[in-house]
Amino acid sequence: MTSTPDLAAVSLQRLTYTYPATDRPALDDITLDIPAGQFCAVVGRNGAGKSTLCYTVAGFVPHFYHGALAGGLRVAGVDVPAASLAALAGRVGLVFANPFNQITGARFTVREEVAFGLENLGVPRPEMSARIDEVLALAGLTGLADRSPYALSGGQQQRLAIASVIVMRPQVLVLDEPTSQLDPVGTREVFEALHRLARSGGAAAETTVVLAEHKLEWIAVYADRVIVLDRGRIVRDGPPAEVLADPALADYGLTPTRYTAAARLAAGRGLVFVDRPLPVTLEQAITYFEDKRLSENPLGPVSDRAPGSVGDRPEQFLDRF
Amino acid sequence: MTDAFSLYAARPSGLHRLNPLTTLALVGFCLVAGLALPGPWGPYAVFLLVLLLAAWGQVLPDLLRDALKIALPFAVSVFLIQGLFWTGGTPVVGLGPLSLKREGLLFAAQSTGHILAVVGSFLLLSLTTRPDALMRTLDQRGLPKALTYVVLATIQIAPRFQAKANTILDAQRSRGLETEGGVRQRVRALLPLVVPLILGSLIDIEERAMSLEARGFSRTGEKTSLLVLPDSAAQRIARWLLLVGMVAVVAAALTLGSR
Repeated sequence: MTSTPDLAAVSLQRLTYTYPATDRPALDDITLDIPAGQFCAVVGRNGAGKSTLCYTVAGFVPHFYHGALAGGLRVAGVDVPAASLAALAGRVGLVFANPFNQITGARFTVREEVAFGLENLGVPRPEMSARIDEVLALAGLTGLADRSPYALSGGQQQRLAIASVIVMRPQVLVLDEPTSQLDPVGTREVFEALHRLARSGGAAAETTVVLAEHKLEWIAVYADRVIVLDRGRIVRDGPPAEVLADPALADYGLTPTRYTAAARLAAGRGLVFVDRPLPVTLEQAITYFEDKRLSENPLGPVSDRAPGSVGDRPEQFLDRF
Repeated sequence: MTDAFSLYAARPSGLHRLNPLTTLALVGFCLVAGLALPGPWGPYAVFLLVLLLAAWGQVLPDLLRDALKIALPFAVSVFLIQGLFWTGGTPVVGLGPLSLKREGLLFAAQSTGHILAVVGSFLLLSLTTRPDALMRTLDQRGLPKALTYVVLATIQIAPRFQAKANTILDAQRSRGLETEGGVRQRVRALLPLVVPLILGSLIDIEERAMSLEARGFSRTGEKTSLLVLPDSAAQRIARWLLLVGMVAVVAAALTLGSR
């Protein structure tokens, strides 16, 4: 993170937004700066305001949904309330949960589908071709370039949707629960593709990512920062290791990752005497349970056990209970 | 499952390589001539022209099959009804108390000719022209982008809409909805099918609109195209000639008709 707050890719200043015909604000006095290049995850229970935050960053609040907006909102150097949606296209990309609705329907092959945004931006044809090839490769869709977008699986369609937005080289990429309709394999593929695309989408600078997501285990691996929303307010904000291991997560309707749960269970039974932060990823969990201070615990020192036996994996460790 | 409501058949033919606008002019000429030329044999001459063009486009069997499928039921009924019930015509063949009249048969032949020429022209266009290429050409010529979008999206989304309707139908049936039986039963079953379908589609439309916006659909300024639409001076001249041809055919038909 090289940027200073005043160079933030996304900047919300005391922003409050209320949808038309509702009383309670969907976003309530939010101040948030996301530096350029940051991968920022937004979590919270249903109705907490995640989608609204996504739509706001992408400019659809207030330009598409109307309603009452107060406060400052700058995204990719543009004063959003004063600009038009057309002016934001290409600077800010938006990806939804339902892959099917993001396919234009006006293009007959995957390649042409990806070209749609570039054509609208007026990108010259030779450059268009090169950019499409690059993005299709990163999204793992090269072999499907001449297929109909409707002939793809859900996971492939969602990667197509992300590729179609990334190819426009937006400074900010907003994703509203992009994996909620996908199976575990589709989810993994989308996250891996997202990581590759956002880190090397051909853009000069790294893409800033704002991701609303329920799957905390994936956020723990890929996000630089996690924001917890509750009733339209930011209630937690920090690195994933800190936010996702926070016991208060349950108060906001969130279930910690299984790694955190396992570690908390072990610590609660006095089986692990470690005062380091609880793990949120598999890697962290492995280090956590293998910590040398485990040798002080009643099960005996780790070094006494044969490699690959109980203790090498958290789930094996838990078999002891 | 088909991917789109489109008859397009990819073939390596000269007709397929034409600029979509040229094909459109060609088909437009056939359509106008097929309707304007005096019957009963004028329309058949045009249908013959359509068949020759289809042969050039390597889609003759497809076109013949589809054209007959559409025109045959019409032809049978029009020949029987006009032939048998033409008032005051000259009987040609007697069928018991009824007889086929010469004038009625000629009229039926002419109507069938019109149908064949029109259906043949449309099939020729559908079989040899990619809908997206045609629409792209048209919006480059100033047709509203929203209009060409609707045409293209309908072609591709209609089959999904159908699939969705079937899914809803299955879901409602599994909850005990009776979809078979008398008319009243069927009408009653319509509501639980239509309401989720319409509401779901409205939500889809909102997301679709946002997705299109995010990809610069309504952006003004110069746009480019990945799809290359070949064109040439010869094709431009051909298009003008076809346009002149259309006017000439109509003018000729009018003068002949008024005499």
